[in-house]
Amino acid sequence: MKKVLGVTLGILTAIGGFVDIGDLVTNALVGARFGMHMAWVVLVGVIGICLYAEMSGRVVAISGRPVFDLIRERLGPRTGLVALVASFLVTLLTLVAEVGGVALAFELASGVNYLLWMPLAALAVWLVIWRVKFSRLEQVFGLMGLLLIVFGVALFKLGPDWGQLLHQATRPHPIGHESWSTYAYYGIALFGAAMTPYEVFFFSSGGVEEKWTRRDLFTARTNVFVGFPLGGLLSLAIMGCAAVLFLPAGIQVGTLGQVTLPVAVALGKIGLAIVLIGVFAATFGAALETALSCGYTIAQYRGWQWGKFVRPREASRFHVVIIVCLLLAVLTLLTGVDPVKVTEYSVVFAAMALPLTYLPILIVANDPDYVGEHTNGRVLNAFGLVYLALLTIASAAAIPLMIITKAGQ
Amino acid sequence: MSGRVLHAQLHLLDRQLIDQSDGHLVGKVDDVELDLDADPPVVALLISGREQIPAGRIAEIDTAIKITVGDLDLDYYDNWIEHHVIDHIPGAGDATE
Repeated sequence: MKKVLGVTLGILTAIGGFVDIGDLVTNALVGARFGMHMAWVVLVGVIGICLYAEMSGRVVAISGRPVFDLIRERLGPRTGLVALVASFLVTLLTLVAEVGGVALAFELASGVNYLLWMPLAALAVWLVIWRVKFSRLEQVFGLMGLLLIVFGVALFKLGPDWGQLLHQATRPHPIGHESWSTYAYYGIALFGAAMTPYEVFFFSSGGVEEKWTRRDLFTARTNVFVGFPLGGLLSLAIMGCAAVLFLPAGIQVGTLGQVTLPVAVALGKIGLAIVLIGVFAATFGAALETALSCGYTIAQYRGWQWGKFVRPREASRFHVVIIVCLLLAVLTLLTGVDPVKVTEYSVVFAAMALPLTYLPILIVANDPDYVGEHTNGRVLNAFGLVYLALLTIASAAAIPLMIITKAGQ
Repeated sequence: MSGRVLHAQLHLLDRQLIDQSDGHLVGKVDDVELDLDADPPVVALLISGREQIPAGRIAEIDTAIKITVGDLDLDYYDNWIEHHVIDHIPGAGDATE
């Protein structure tokens, strides 16, 4: 039973990291504009995150050191600082989007404007971080997030032409009025959403919170290879729903309400209720993860005491960082900025920060000082290098494509 | 740790410092000071923030460095924030449920 519950770290990371507000919005948006013609990016993203999350899980299980400890050690204080600033800002932006997502889910359920829900959502996130045990937090939000499987059920109920969806998925090119540059831009956004840096910060720090040792290698790997592919399947279901309902009608997705609409169409009110709870769990789980990750990255770079495994007063600087970040998120959202737009930008900026996050993991996973005999094999390193090249290309192309396509318009 | 070759840049710089007595994280090694008069030169001090840690306090060098903290004030800023901010919030001293 303990093993089964142990897997919830992976499920939470997958639901709240793989399927967070970024994936909900980006997958639906891409499905509505490109059908399943971009499904392959999800597959590439899932393999990439599995590859690097496994490495960081292995490093943390054997050495006890989480990712940002190593980023500074292996890149040095200066380059490490650049990586810190980039990853921290992206994670903070993602936190803004997730808190907005929680509030939007409440708006959809209640009809009350999200701006009123938003301070409550941020307060609730803080209270859970302040009071609730790490393992409980994983279990509750991980399991509740599984309700998003309703997207899969909805897809079946919509009765799509499966042959046509498969036909689309095997032809990776833009369709209709779309150009190659918007196709590439959204490809990078989808890739960034799948491999968002906070996923590995949270996963590896979570390993320390759970006090993983080398005996937990199996748990770490199960988490990775169950959680992330499950998240990938959910992403494809979200994309599929949008491809079936919105693409033929020529409707573009710009709100969270549209993301959940296919479920309401397919399954009625009960479906809508389930999907809203699922969206709430996924965005709330991701808000917890990103808020914690803001604290993890800074504390681990500076060497401060961090974590929920000690009382808050023993990690006071870590908790102050989290409180300040949540306040910043509330202030940003109070300006009335559209959380869905924030989400769209956050995934592209995430893509830009990727190489600095993943390069040190690849280096350390090859260092016997940290992982003993469990260093990467040749095949793993070959894959790791291919992905590092992909991440670098995506990172370099993100801003030029954002300018050329006017952020995907 | 006799017979083990340590590379100051790889094994000391930017490494996590841990209080040997309670396992608390107490900072990073920001710099290393060598005693060049000795032959061969040896590490004399580890510098973390504003504190200098004499090499004699190093208990273990692994993927993190364990030290005997004793009277070193490595928690100065953490304690300051603890007393001025965190302790004013209810539940600051409780373990999470």
